[in-house]
Amino acid sequence: MVVLRRLLYSQKAAPYLFIAPFVITLLAFWLLPLARTFLLSTQEVVFGQAAFIGFDNYQRLWEDRLFWKAMFNSARYMVLTIALLIPVPLVLAALINSKIGSERVKAVFKASMFVPALTSVVVAGIIFRLMFAETGTGLMNQIVGIFGLEPVRWLRIDTGGLIALLALAMWRWTGVNILYFLAGMQSIPEEYYEAATIDGASRLQQFFHITLPNLKPTIVYVTTISIYGGLAMFLESFMLYRGNSSPNDQGLTVIGYLYRRGIEQNDLGFASAVGVVLVVVIMTINLTFLTLSGTFKKESAQ
Amino acid sequence: MSAQPATRTKVQLPHWLHGSVQTGFLLVLTLIVLAPLLIMFVATFQDGNDVIRRGLSLDIDRSSLSLDNYVMLFTDSGPYFRWFANSILLTVVQVAGTLLVSSFVAYGFAVYEFKGKTALFIAVLLLMAVPFEIMMLPLYVLVNDVGLADSYSVIVLPFLAAAVTIFYFRQYFLGIPKDLLEAGRMDGATEFGIFFKIVVPVAKPAFAAMAILNGMIIWNNFLWPLLVLRSESKFTLPIGLNTLLTPHENNYELLIIGSLFSLLPVLVLFLLFQRFFVAGMTAGALKG
Amino acid sequence: MTTRRRITSLLAAGLAATLMLSACGGSEEEGGPDAEGRTSIDMWVFAELHGTYYEAMAEAWNEKNPDKEIKLDVTVFPYDEMHNKLQLAVNSGKGLPDVVDIEVNKFSNFVTEDGRTPLADLSEAAEPYQEDIVQARMDLYAREGKQLGFPTHVGAQVAFYNIPLLEKAGVDYTTIKTWDDFKAAGAKYNKATGKAFGVASTDTNITQPLVMAQLGGDLFDEDGNVTVNSPEVVEAIELLQDMQKAGALSTIPGGSPDIEEAYGPINNGDYAAIVYPAWYTSRFVDYMPDLAGDIAIAPAPVIEGGEVATVGGGGTGTAVIDSSPDKEFAAEWLAFAKLSPEANVAVWEELGFDPVNMSVWEDKDVTHNPENKFNKYFRTNLFDVLNEVKGDIGHFESFENPNLPKVDEVFTTSTYNQIFGDGVPAKQALDQAQADLENQLK
Repeated sequence: MVVLRRLLYSQKAAPYLFIAPFVITLLAFWLLPLARTFLLSTQEVVFGQAAFIGFDNYQRLWEDRLFWKAMFNSARYMVLTIALLIPVPLVLAALINSKIGSERVKAVFKASMFVPALTSVVVAGIIFRLMFAETGTGLMNQIVGIFGLEPVRWLRIDTGGLIALLALAMWRWTGVNILYFLAGMQSIPEEYYEAATIDGASRLQQFFHITLPNLKPTIVYVTTISIYGGLAMFLESFMLYRGNSSPNDQGLTVIGYLYRRGIEQNDLGFASAVGVVLVVVIMTINLTFLTLSGTFKKESAQ
Repeated sequence: MSAQPATRTKVQLPHWLHGSVQTGFLLVLTLIVLAPLLIMFVATFQDGNDVIRRGLSLDIDRSSLSLDNYVMLFTDSGPYFRWFANSILLTVVQVAGTLLVSSFVAYGFAVYEFKGKTALFIAVLLLMAVPFEIMMLPLYVLVNDVGLADSYSVIVLPFLAAAVTIFYFRQYFLGIPKDLLEAGRMDGATEFGIFFKIVVPVAKPAFAAMAILNGMIIWNNFLWPLLVLRSESKFTLPIGLNTLLTPHENNYELLIIGSLFSLLPVLVLFLLFQRFFVAGMTAGALKG
Repeated sequence: MTTRRRITSLLAAGLAATLMLSACGGSEEEGGPDAEGRTSIDMWVFAELHGTYYEAMAEAWNEKNPDKEIKLDVTVFPYDEMHNKLQLAVNSGKGLPDVVDIEVNKFSNFVTEDGRTPLADLSEAAEPYQEDIVQARMDLYAREGKQLGFPTHVGAQVAFYNIPLLEKAGVDYTTIKTWDDFKAAGAKYNKATGKAFGVASTDTNITQPLVMAQLGGDLFDEDGNVTVNSPEVVEAIELLQDMQKAGALSTIPGGSPDIEEAYGPINNGDYAAIVYPAWYTSRFVDYMPDLAGDIAIAPAPVIEGGEVATVGGGGTGTAVIDSSPDKEFAAEWLAFAKLSPEANVAVWEELGFDPVNMSVWEDKDVTHNPENKFNKYFRTNLFDVLNEVKGDIGHFESFENPNLPKVDEVFTTSTYNQIFGDGVPAKQALDQAQADLENQLK
């Protein structure tokens, strides 16, 4: 009891007790599986029997057309979501932040934009799959029809599927990103703008010379999570294509390929090699990006 | 910062016109964003197989609309409400657990100096950027090897110390004056007493925001439960709904109405606590 | 203070309890009958209707065998999830059911090339019924002399023609015997109506193997190596691609005739000829009510001087897990539920599948029952067609190869989409499939 009491009052011991759950989680659910992934990636596993095969899985991976296709698809999705989900919400946030227009409408708009983020990928995927139906009666084909065009076989062609995926991403995340940017904008001191107005700067000039530079931390943050989210995308495609198979593998992502080889085809070794490569890629991109944008410096200065 | 002097004459719209153009634009966007959900809502009154065949459509046969699906939902929807109850239970338990454990850890990082702190905190930062999907394969194998498949505990345990939540709480706790904690120590409180008695009450808004963020994630959690769960009676809503996507002898009516219905608790909570939702979902952007 | 500490310890206790609970969750069941003399059998299936069928078969068994009743517990999973879960459970040897439905394209995932398998040998249980069963379908699930699964149906490929549509275009389906006839009829129909005739499936590998088998082709060589660009396979696919160019085949929404999105167009009369396994009768009756009385069933087109008239398409092999403590009992029940004459009558009457027990095919009371909903729906009798091709139902060797699942995956996601969707020449697409597969299987 005395020991316990001393422990409870001790400022030396306390921090270790506080962070113990994290250390356990880190070891049991991250480092151990990571090590296991690496180990598995050097093995061939048949009905639970593992045999060491060195770096053969990595060599197969390197020569595997589908792996590169999956890489390409994930990278393309990441780049395009960043290209869309930063400028568009940024402009919309600026519109909301401007002094003109009805405040009530803006509030309704903000809340409505947020609603899709409440929708799970499963439900959103079901809805978008049905909207992008390839029959002439599907919503998107009706819209296309208004412009006098033939029905599009959306999810059966590469561009059509990509548009559907991007539309889904835009739908779910525009509202959230608007809020990020709004929060950033509202923390910019009003005096900056007043001074600029006195100098005769136009609204547009103010946006580029005051708003954007001051939003840098927010933009960095949103980009970071978009890199991560883009490269790790799987579920959106899985729901949209009703499973992990899509025509010509146009919807196959890196995680999707890991899932296919590991869980559907039971090739644990190969799938683990895919996982290891993905960890390395994501870590490299993120660390580079965070270093370049100076986030680490700020963190250690605290 | 010096702004460039304007070099060309600007075409200035009258203020009121500018305002209504913007308002109109925002209203149109609002409609577009809500359209998928609205059309899905209309589809709940239609024949399910028809919706799957024709897609969500504006071309609706009005005479075919009926309340049958709603009657079915409440009288003959099989395990649907079981899944609903499972989801609620799992969400409540996991959110409570995550808040407790993660805030605990965050407090450790925020107020103490100890060996290895920097390294461990960098680990937190890195974990925020490693997709769980990479861990799922070895974890899945592990879970099976130890015979823990089909249990809720393996869904909950790996995520109790959640990196993003820890990070958020730490930032929040850093803002609490040290004097407050010292005063607690003077009163003879243990380190844990200080945490529960002084820190937790002060940090209520942070707890609310993180409850929302984690609640959203857990309510919609899909991949890991999909791999782990085996029995239909243990399925959560997203897993159960996904099973309805299977072809033949399916129940597309339940798929459609059940999908929409699953949004209801979240929507109601959102309308009631919009402020916390915004704080929770945008938590990551908290200035470092 | 004390209450706070109590809360903390409660929470700690709660966490510990969760851990303990979960640790105890994995206890394995013991075999043998329970206190009431009933043996519990866990079964996984991937189609609701199959589940209903097995439950009916469990009841029928219990009526006949009151001394050794079965207590059947069926779990229905979506197709992919069920096979994924089974694969993992097989790896770890934990959390397995006693009996499981395995789709034919996935079956080979559960036997290695050298015959290692977690599935039980059912040969003994099959013995009483053996001679009446279509052997080709038993072979599908036999490896190295062991019977690892029981078939659900023959799935003999036949042709379904929409008579009113064909008549309007001046096409007589009874003159269609060969694929050349089919192509000519299709081209004529397409010209007359501007609409699609047959279906070029991009997402299933069912009609293509029929043509491959008729040409005597195989997806693997004698040593079991992948040869998906062998001359016969290329010829078969080119034949189909030529038919598409002539207007006799078209792609369909959903990618294959057996997808919800495709039922609508077929029901609307957008397609006039479907070559598919006999079990497709049930899809007509269930999902295309508007076509009742319009559809005639006929033998599938053949190759002149070809190897076989038809082969089975699709299928589900039901297997017993070797490590199940009740495997003998399960095998005996399963043989009754899948191979016995009474079960096969139910397979036809309830599911509309062509039963594997051929004694049923001869029973006119069953096959020509005018009250039967399938007989009412179609203009011609399915069993007349089946009896016509009876001696000529071939077996597509490739279905036994352990690498079939991977070939199937590549074909149905990439190759067929390239050929029939994007118009890539058959040879080129098959060469690429061969290269991809060689790397995958290295």
